[in-house]
Amino acid sequence: MKAAGKEVTIVMIEDDEGHARLIEKNVRRAGVNNEIVPFTNGNAALDFILGADRSGNSNQDRHLLILLDLNLPDMSGIDILEKVKSNPHSKRLPVVILTTTDDEREIQRCYDLGANVYITKPVDYDSFAHAIRQLGLFFAVMQIPGQ
Amino acid sequence: MPFTNSTFARSSLLMLLVGGVVLVAIVLSSFFLARTTQVYFQDVVKLRELRSAAADMQLFLRAAESGQRGFVLTQDAEFLKPYTTASAVIPRLRERLKTSAANLGGMQVPFAELDPLIDDKLAEMQSTVEMVQKGNAVGAIEVIRGAYGRQLMEGITAILGKLLRDMDGRIGTGIDDLNDSASALQWITIGGGLMIILVIGGAILIVGQHVRELQRARSEVEELNAGLEERVNERSEDLIQANREIQRYAYIVSHDLRAPLVNIMGFTSELETMLKSIRTYVLADGTPLSESEVNEARVAVEEDLPEAIAFIRSSTKKMDGLINAILKISRDGRRELKPERIDLGALLEATAASVYHQVSEAGGEVNISVGQARGLITDRFSMEQIFGNLFDNAVKYKHPDRPLNLSVKAMAIGRAGIRIEVADNGRGIAPEDHERVFELFRRSGVQDQQGEGIGLAHVRSLVRNLGGEITVTSTMGGGTTFVIRLPADLSQYVRSNGS
Repeated sequence: MKAAGKEVTIVMIEDDEGHARLIEKNVRRAGVNNEIVPFTNGNAALDFILGADRSGNSNQDRHLLILLDLNLPDMSGIDILEKVKSNPHSKRLPVVILTTTDDEREIQRCYDLGANVYITKPVDYDSFAHAIRQLGLFFAVMQIPGQ
Repeated sequence: MPFTNSTFARSSLLMLLVGGVVLVAIVLSSFFLARTTQVYFQDVVKLRELRSAAADMQLFLRAAESGQRGFVLTQDAEFLKPYTTASAVIPRLRERLKTSAANLGGMQVPFAELDPLIDDKLAEMQSTVEMVQKGNAVGAIEVIRGAYGRQLMEGITAILGKLLRDMDGRIGTGIDDLNDSASALQWITIGGGLMIILVIGGAILIVGQHVRELQRARSEVEELNAGLEERVNERSEDLIQANREIQRYAYIVSHDLRAPLVNIMGFTSELETMLKSIRTYVLADGTPLSESEVNEARVAVEEDLPEAIAFIRSSTKKMDGLINAILKISRDGRRELKPERIDLGALLEATAASVYHQVSEAGGEVNISVGQARGLITDRFSMEQIFGNLFDNAVKYKHPDRPLNLSVKAMAIGRAGIRIEVADNGRGIAPEDHERVFELFRRSGVQDQQGEGIGLAHVRSLVRNLGGEITVTSTMGGGTTFVIRLPADLSQYVRSNGS
């Protein structure tokens, strides 16, 4: 997965380290070898994506894809989505919501805020692994905007 | 209501009774007095009749006598006319005198004396008149001169005069009696009228009072009605709020329990995958293995297997922790509250004592002022838990650049409530997280402190159990103030809310 000839970094914001590990394993199984940067809370992730000053200037020379869980200990994933999509430097970054919630309003809200994909984590592991692998395959073919 | 319906019925009935009695008394006494007046009047009429009969008798006797004397002196028949007229009337007059005397019943007219005198007088006059008519005028004058007729007349006049004087006296007393009874009737009528006016006035007063009482009662009922509606609305809002919270709670619990479950299932499946490569290696039984197969088995045993086991273990531990936390909240929610009188100042001091050392060491201070809001009847254990959690949070999330300044202020709101403010100058809570901090397993801000996101959820459920509410105001970097409103008397609150 490349953008403007450069490798795309996958930012995974997931509070559960086990989930993060399982997602990583299955993404790799789909043949995606991009760097994955995991975060377990929203503040650290935002520091990375938008910079400590939240200006978004740090995105000048990077290509990110964000995997986002909605339920985080310190802030709501929706807040992160809102911040990412309202910043002019990060609004084009593809955001994939990967969460356990299947609430209809929550899904609508995320798309309204500019989420690109919304996936509900299946509880059953076979479906979970399958879904993540499919997502990995999708990553392999999708186009990421260059800045 | 102090003025009951039965009192009203009793007093108005009494008024009616008094009015009726007065009216009957007036009617009866008027009737009686009218009867008496009539009797007096009839008596007076009879007395006058007798008096006039007696006076007429005297008058006609004198007329007859003067007619007789004139005729005897002059022998002129002209003088005889009054005599004949009077003598014709006198028998009828005697009858009249007798009838009116009989009408009066007890009136003693001395007829035994009077009758012979009148008879003799009439006979004397008759005899002289006859003597003159026969030409014996001198003889007749002699008879008159004999003073017999004069003496008879004087006797009659004496008797009749006495009768007339008696009559006059008795008529006078009769008229006096009449006057007395008339004025008595007047006074009784006036007095009765006054009494009736008094009774009617009293009745109007009582009815007015009753009407006022009724109006007051009605407005009270209306007020209560309005209050009831308000209370029903309040309760429904509380219920809606509680329902929303339960849904949210159920959602959070199911989500948070599901996350470790996904891990356990996931890593169990991973274990199965690893098992394949390990099995290939272990059960090779001398079959030559490719390098990658050996490598896979090694990686599985050295890295993947311990990792999977560690995740499964940490996930089960996490689930256990979550279940325990939920149990704790539910147990505290079901704990029976023991309302007791609490010295709020002493309780806050004692609770703050556990953090006091930490605060003062870092140069901070704790200020507690309860002012007038001392008397509070509530559950001691809940209060200790609430403030213990809040003080711990204040210490944990103090601003890194300045010493903690923690202040607790309590004040009464009305008679039924108390408001306690716990304010710090800590790092603050972002506006979007003001509601979220009270949710189970949710935390706010930078995650640089240990914690599970249970404290404030616990505090809110404790405060609600005490019939109160907790809210937060905070500015990022400026500090946080928790405001707790509690009913001043928990036992009364429990009674009136039936929970």
